Amino acid sequence: MKRAARSLTLAVLCQAVALAQDFSQRGFLETTGLFFPQTAPNDSGRAVGESLFRYELFYKPLNGLQFAGGFDAAFDTHQETDRAFAISFWDRERLRPAFAIRRLSAQYHRGRLTVEAGKQFVRWGKTDVLTPTDRFAPRDFLNVVDSDFLAVTAGRLTYGTQSDTIDLVFEPRLTPSRVPLLDQRWGVQAPGIPLAEAAPDFPGGPQFGARWNHIGTAAEYSLSFYNGYDHLPLYNAQLELAPLRVDLQRFYPQLRMYGADVAVPLKWVTVKAEAGYFTSSTPQSDEYALYVLQLERQTGEWSFVAGYAGQAITSHGTAIAYSPIRGLTRSVVARAAYTIDTNRSLAFETVVRQNGAGMYFKPEYSQAFGQHWRVTAGFALIRGRDDDFLGQYHRNSHAIVALRYSF
Amino acid sequence: MNKSHTRMNTDKHGSLKWIYPCLSVFIRVLLISSAFAQDARQIVEESQKRGRANSQRYEGVLEVIGPNSKVSKKSWMSERLGSYGNSKAVIRFSAPAEVKGVALLVVNHPERSADQWMWTPAVGRDRRIALQDRATRFFGTDFSFEDLEERDVDQFDYRLAGEETIDGAPCWRIEARPRAGKTSQYTLSRIWIRKDNYVPAQYENFIKDQLARRLRQTDIANVQGIWTARTLEMTDLRRNSRTVMRIEKLVYNTPMNEEDFTVQALRREQ
Repeated sequence: MKRAARSLTLAVLCQAVALAQDFSQRGFLETTGLFFPQTAPNDSGRAVGESLFRYELFYKPLNGLQFAGGFDAAFDTHQETDRAFAISFWDRERLRPAFAIRRLSAQYHRGRLTVEAGKQFVRWGKTDVLTPTDRFAPRDFLNVVDSDFLAVTAGRLTYGTQSDTIDLVFEPRLTPSRVPLLDQRWGVQAPGIPLAEAAPDFPGGPQFGARWNHIGTAAEYSLSFYNGYDHLPLYNAQLELAPLRVDLQRFYPQLRMYGADVAVPLKWVTVKAEAGYFTSSTPQSDEYALYVLQLERQTGEWSFVAGYAGQAITSHGTAIAYSPIRGLTRSVVARAAYTIDTNRSLAFETVVRQNGAGMYFKPEYSQAFGQHWRVTAGFALIRGRDDDFLGQYHRNSHAIVALRYSF
Repeated sequence: MNKSHTRMNTDKHGSLKWIYPCLSVFIRVLLISSAFAQDARQIVEESQKRGRANSQRYEGVLEVIGPNSKVSKKSWMSERLGSYGNSKAVIRFSAPAEVKGVALLVVNHPERSADQWMWTPAVGRDRRIALQDRATRFFGTDFSFEDLEERDVDQFDYRLAGEETIDGAPCWRIEARPRAGKTSQYTLSRIWIRKDNYVPAQYENFIKDQLARRLRQTDIANVQGIWTARTLEMTDLRRNSRTVMRIEKLVYNTPMNEEDFTVQALRREQ
């Protein structure tokens, strides 16, 4: 009798443990073709093929404890992706790694407290057209107008209720954004002078950030602070005479940010605003404010987002800066999406510089086939002057076709 | 002119006595309609009361049948904590693969419209769904964001409009209109509530006198003492499409934590 009871208890316990265990996974294999009608001075290629396999898994061995892992395998025809067999964890390579740990973290939560440690995604801010306060979100800018976020290796502590949340992030080692390659069409070449890239100077110090977010009945708002290094580089330039060339070395300036964001749903539209003021102890770096004001609305099958991204420089630095984030300011940005039916959708995106020196327009059509397949086709039209951040890419207008299998 | 008009009527009937029977009929009609209104509210209240549970968990298996008869399949997990109209719910997609992990948090309030946030893992951001955006379809289904809210009985004025039979079951037909100051895309909702178990058998939702959506609830079964419709069919009559949702693995009154129904928890679960 006792043995039967013991067996029963054991069976119930085993079942309870099995139920508590939770495993989920997702991923995709995507192949993209990019077709450029024009060549660029530093790039004669007109067609680029890219493939990306992404796999993410989540495992909850116990209630409150979760492990997240993610893996990327990439290949391309244009040598923007490294051909060497190596697995990247820190994402500091010049080329996109062929194999990379996309995320790897452990998360524990109990009551109002959540702690996550490891390589993870941290997204701050509320606006979409540009997010000045999103400081722990470096990106892969190898293709400037179609960038993907990179995870950061950090510890994150979140404490709060539904209405008030405090978020503390500590990133011991900077994950930089990946910038365009100098020998590719998204890398900018000065006419007549060859550029060479020297080994980058990565900072040794950590990053720290804190954010308080409040969710109210009428509005949501937050205050944020960041102290560390910019994930976008400045460049030291050195002229070499024999042979004639300019050596460029990336370095990452110290950065401190004071930020705020707010979202107010009104009767007709939702108004979102976000601003950050950036100071730096690095003398070559600018000090500046970035701000965004955007309106959004969904009606029927349409969704609209439109806004203005601005910049005010309070102190000019001396170094050459490369920042697609700042480069897209002083612009009107708009997005519209239309859902045709369950499987088909259209999207339009445009950026127009306020001085008319640059513009970008991207319509895209997407269709799903069955439960797993999706085809996306579109083009990006870029026009403008060589002295404008966006306009300098006027030779990079392109058509895109992507086929994705999700699982 | 008014005086002469009044005098003329008085003269014609000799006195104002004719008005008393009319007034009496009018008052009776008022009282009866008031009684009906009270009954309608009580029926809805009783329906909500009988469906009450501390928590609910189910897996929704959805088939979206488009105007061209193309079928797409989706599924989600739904968890709800709290009593009807004052509850919190999380709906998280588990299929198809490309929307796996997309989640919606609904925080219902008895005195006002619910708050909603959507989490999209691909962009790693949560987004509040504004009131004016809730007429939009929820991720390609025929349910709008508003349809996923619960409305407390005090947010509507009710009228018993008659009795009809739905799927062979006698039902009360009740009309519900949002009270002044309450926001809804629907100007009128007709609700058929079954007399035998108080389960709503059908809803018809009107926008500006045009029938916009019809929800039919069938496959009614007693689950842990609560009569529950396990098949919901939402038809969008303007798009000529419909979504059939089968409720599977339904459990009531299962232990859940308040902390799992926050924006923070949406992000946590990925």
